[in-house]
Amino acid sequence: MIKLENVSKIYGKNIKALQDISLKFAEGELIILKGVSGSGKSTILSLIAGLSKPTFGEVIVDGKKISKLPDHFAASYRRDNIGIVFQKYNLIPELSVQENVLLPLFPLNLPREDMRQKAKKVLEMFSIEHKSSLMVRNLSGGEQQRVAISRANINDPKIILADEPTANLDEKLSREFIEILRELKSKNRTIVVATHDPLFFELDFVDKIVNIEHGKLL
Amino acid sequence: MFLTPEIITLSILNLLFVVFATIAFINSLKIVLKYDANATSSYQYALEKKSYLSATIIKFIFYVKIPLFIFFVYTLDDLSNILPGAMCAAGVVSATSYGTPLLFLKILNLYVFAFWIVLNDEDMKYEDQPYLKQKFLLFCVAYFLLIAEIIVESFMFNGMDINSVVDCCGAIFSTTSATYLAEILSLSPKILLSIFYGVFILLVLFYFLKNRYIYAVLNIVFVLIALITLIAFFGTYIYEQPTHHCPFCLLQRDYNYIGYFLYIILFVGTFFGFVIGIIDFQAKELRKRFNISLLYNTIYVALVTYYPIAYYLKNGVWL
Repeated sequence: MIKLENVSKIYGKNIKALQDISLKFAEGELIILKGVSGSGKSTILSLIAGLSKPTFGEVIVDGKKISKLPDHFAASYRRDNIGIVFQKYNLIPELSVQENVLLPLFPLNLPREDMRQKAKKVLEMFSIEHKSSLMVRNLSGGEQQRVAISRANINDPKIILADEPTANLDEKLSREFIEILRELKSKNRTIVVATHDPLFFELDFVDKIVNIEHGKLL
Repeated sequence: MFLTPEIITLSILNLLFVVFATIAFINSLKIVLKYDANATSSYQYALEKKSYLSATIIKFIFYVKIPLFIFFVYTLDDLSNILPGAMCAAGVVSATSYGTPLLFLKILNLYVFAFWIVLNDEDMKYEDQPYLKQKFLLFCVAYFLLIAEIIVESFMFNGMDINSVVDCCGAIFSTTSATYLAEILSLSPKILLSIFYGVFILLVLFYFLKNRYIYAVLNIVFVLIALITLIAFFGTYIYEQPTHHCPFCLLQRDYNYIGYFLYIILFVGTFFGFVIGIIDFQAKELRKRFNISLLYNTIYVALVTYYPIAYYLKNGVWL
């Protein structure tokens, strides 16, 4: 369960990214945050991920007050519970596909063989295992996104956050991504997608569409 | 006043400490007075940010201050080459009326600052930061101790006069001078050693009984009796001179800088022993600190015991 209670986020002195927002998402739901650029969608994602803190209000995930966590606990919470797919994927081009996917596992000090097995499993799940030894910079946009999704899922997170995931994809690849979301939802993952891509708005498996404008709910 | 590179270094660092510690102090006051862990107002979130910033500032000040004590002692020792009459740091300490209070203040601060670091580390281990208010309250006290130390240190360096002859350690730590120290030094070595080894045996006993409160109190007693016996008895075997009772000469090259080693070991052993009596550590952490404390205290006891025994084996007599 994700809860935002009377959350406001003000950057600097008076840039109001979010204004007194209250939201509630149940476990296993797919939620679309809809709005134009600058409406506050990404800010909501970063608050749920514990990447930033609200100016007012509270963010609660599974009963834990995320917005009150000290920074190093927020990092642990993120590592254990959250998978993030960024608009520009945020992969390291100089590393291979497998190395990129393995990155979130390094702080866990797992045995190397366990790490490799996990990477293999997740790369197979998202049909990119055959490219595991290639440098990321040599992959197409769609392939890079599969790597990003694999990385977001390697820790088996309960919550997946995707920020404009199809902004750099053509329609065919966007539909492929949507199918991946369907699969993740079937595994009872809670998924929050921030997007203004119309492809998402009429999907039959979306549980909730939240409209945001100028940091307020419509 | 005169300036040496060491005094200039200490003065610049002191200035930086005052600036940053004052920032941290102002924030600490706000946190102590206004922090509410359950509140979700913008002021509370701002206070949380300030608490991270202040804790980081304080941590780095104390991380520097603790080893800087060794540099300060080295500076005193070095200044003895300039002050006429001084043979070691003891002469420099006694050159002004600020020297002795400063030394005691610095030793006290050493324990307070180290305690703050441990408290902060413990606080940061838990999501709800159970010691947050306590650690900033402690810093508010430590801030005044730090400022007092810096002021007294400045007075001491300012008050030194290279044209005045100061006492050497032989006069200061003489058993015949009319001071409390002379009275302590005149006590029978048998009594002092009985207390010293007796307290150590009690330390070992309460280590096995795992009674952290009594163990902590015993560490306070142990550090005092360890210093007294070092000056009154063990030091004479390090110097191999029955009348040489100086706690500073053993910091010099002539004695292989053994003093630094002894004091650091004593500090680590007694500090970890003392701290477990105050902070409620988890079982594993408590055990670790018990072990560190006893290990270092044992090394200290073994090391100081070595000198008289080695002397006796070599010469067949006691001093």
